[in-house]
Amino acid sequence: MRKYHLVRRADSQLRRTLIFYAAGILISLAIGAVILACLGINPFEYYGRMFTIGLVGNRYGYKSIEGLLKIFVPLLITSLALSLSFKMRFWNIGGEGEFLIGAICASCIAFNSTGMPNFVTIVLMCLAAMISSGIIGIAIAALKVRFNTNETLMTLMINYIMLYVIRYIGDTKAPWNFFLREDSERPIFGSFPESAVMGGIPLGKFTLLWSVLIAIILTVIVYIYLKYTKHGYEISVVGDSSATAKYAGMSVGKIVLRTMFISSALIGLAAALTVSSAGTISDTITNDVGWTGIIVAWLSKLSVPAVFVTSILIAVLQYGCQAAATQYPAIDVNYADLLQGIILFSILVADFAANFKIVRKEDANNA
Amino acid sequence: MKKLISLLVSAALAVTSVFALAGCSGTKGSGNEASNFKVGAIYINSQNDTAGYTYAHHHGITEAMKKVGLDPAKDLYIVDNVPEDDEKVKQAIDQLAGNGCNIIFGISFGYLNAMDEKAKEYPDIIFSHATGYLSNDKNFNNYFGRIYQARYLAGIAAGYKSLALGNNNIGYVSAWGTEYAETCSGINAFAMGCMAVNPDANVNVYEIYTWGDQEKERQAAELLIDTYGCCVIAQHCDSAQPQIVANEKGVYGCGYNSDMTKEAPNAHLAAPVWNWDAYYATAMKAAMTNPATFMTEVGNYYEGLNAGLVDVSALSANCEPETKEAVEIAKKMMVNGEWDVFSGVKLSFSGAAGSVTVTKADADLLKDDGSVIVAAGGASVDDGVIQGSMDYYVKGVTQVNK
Repeated sequence: MRKYHLVRRADSQLRRTLIFYAAGILISLAIGAVILACLGINPFEYYGRMFTIGLVGNRYGYKSIEGLLKIFVPLLITSLALSLSFKMRFWNIGGEGEFLIGAICASCIAFNSTGMPNFVTIVLMCLAAMISSGIIGIAIAALKVRFNTNETLMTLMINYIMLYVIRYIGDTKAPWNFFLREDSERPIFGSFPESAVMGGIPLGKFTLLWSVLIAIILTVIVYIYLKYTKHGYEISVVGDSSATAKYAGMSVGKIVLRTMFISSALIGLAAALTVSSAGTISDTITNDVGWTGIIVAWLSKLSVPAVFVTSILIAVLQYGCQAAATQYPAIDVNYADLLQGIILFSILVADFAANFKIVRKEDANNA
Repeated sequence: MKKLISLLVSAALAVTSVFALAGCSGTKGSGNEASNFKVGAIYINSQNDTAGYTYAHHHGITEAMKKVGLDPAKDLYIVDNVPEDDEKVKQAIDQLAGNGCNIIFGISFGYLNAMDEKAKEYPDIIFSHATGYLSNDKNFNNYFGRIYQARYLAGIAAGYKSLALGNNNIGYVSAWGTEYAETCSGINAFAMGCMAVNPDANVNVYEIYTWGDQEKERQAAELLIDTYGCCVIAQHCDSAQPQIVANEKGVYGCGYNSDMTKEAPNAHLAAPVWNWDAYYATAMKAAMTNPATFMTEVGNYYEGLNAGLVDVSALSANCEPETKEAVEIAKKMMVNGEWDVFSGVKLSFSGAAGSVTVTKADADLLKDDGSVIVAAGGASVDDGVIQGSMDYYVKGVTQVNK
């Protein structure tokens, strides 16, 4: 005998949503403030540093912006890629694995590129990463189309397979292993030669990496692709109902394969840009974008412009949390992670509360 | 509508950030100008750990700061939980540099590439890297210690215990074996300490193939006691599990990193420990006095018992009565530079408590396959071997899970 009932709100008011979101964030910040106050830290000062990503009083502020953009670019591209497959109701949670295979293949080229022109190397790295990640994506999509396998499980497993592949590469000292630094007794990843390190446009001391421009252009392209092309329309029809799509004469299998290839290849591209701007690879190179990207995609309701804005905000949140934690010896990254988690969770709850309401059963009957 | 909602999320986030910003603008920068010397640290785990590697370094840094007149609550900037990922280490260094740190310590081996690169980018900041091997002649050094000397002393304690129990089997739970000089030099020194007291001692090594895994550490210790009949369990791993197992099974043990007598009150003998503040105080003092001469004043730092960087913890009541004298004799010989572990001279201890004597005898230092490392009477192997290229066990060591 349920007494209470969840009912979707009939109307969706702008003001209500705004208030719920603001309340959610304020509550999460208040919880964080209590913890900070218990540790004897002024929460206002802490949050100020957090939301200004530690720029105030920073000698090398331009480096903070560069660091922020290095977090932002892979997150944006991965979130866009995940939105593509989610739109089709293909649950690609293999962002981490697809990112890693791309990073590994791009690094294969990078480590062997000594003497090659910079532009050629980076283009080759991008191609290698896109093709390798794309193949993984299309293989999983093919299994789904042909044998109706569960794509959630398959993509999830790819994450762990690739994580252990890169750990194996990073831990194995052997003559074939050109990933590692040669003069070190202990296994440690080497640095790329100059030819594979991405440059950018110098603006004073600040360098605007090419990857930032590429990411912005990609956002526009994905927006147009989804909104104004036949492919984009097909994706949304398959997402709404694959039976409808079939009835309308669309080749659902082909659409799924094509979209998964594009989605994974984009993640591969993000990986190539990331390793190239980092100038190295590691088993934590993904910075968890495969997971965070899922949150970004859903917070944005799969809308491309919203993905762009949300990626910026999440990147600021991530970078800011760490920047603030650095300035307080008592605060470690665990607190920063906790706060991020509380904020994201509150936003999700606020979103839920803005769309649903809890009513008593009698009221529901009367309504 | 959907788009609107998502834009609102963003707007709400932005609005809050403006609020928070307004809240702070009055207090920003306070306290930053008070002192002009700032210390930066990059940790592999958290500074709030209560034991283990990062704890030992953090404790060392804060103690050293107090010694040289700095306030760890104000003058210390930390980026913690930094994985061995060049990109993340570089970002951490940028943060610390941006906050005005004058010296930056990186405690994990994998920070090597990033610290090397960033030392060139920030010539005004001193970079100091533990366990590495790279440096430059201006602002980048590496530091580590002769922990093998402390392990030799712990070996003496274990040797007396095995002699008293009439059991020559001594166990050693090790993160790694001959893959790393750091682990096998420690095992070798410990074994030589045991054999200086009990020439028939045999050290049985169980390698767990990871720097830290409490479950594996526990299982390894159980196996060494139950299957190989070991009466003392030494360890090179992060947790106190091997000592706890020794305590449960009524045998003895030598911990690592911290005095583990409180975890294993009836089992623990003595543990090789680090006193990192000895180095950190030296480094900070030199950098505060004149950063330009840091590399000539401190340079690449590799010290041991003489500098107080390593030591054995206080001998517990579980130790045999002769232990104290023998440990003091050996320690004195290493402190004044008269003798070192990996040389062609072997020490043997004899005599009852109150009249323990040491005999120095020239003897070949032998590998476990019988080949000679140092000929009888020869000088100690190079520090480079102990820190980097040692990849063998000495005679008397057996790895049981090879």
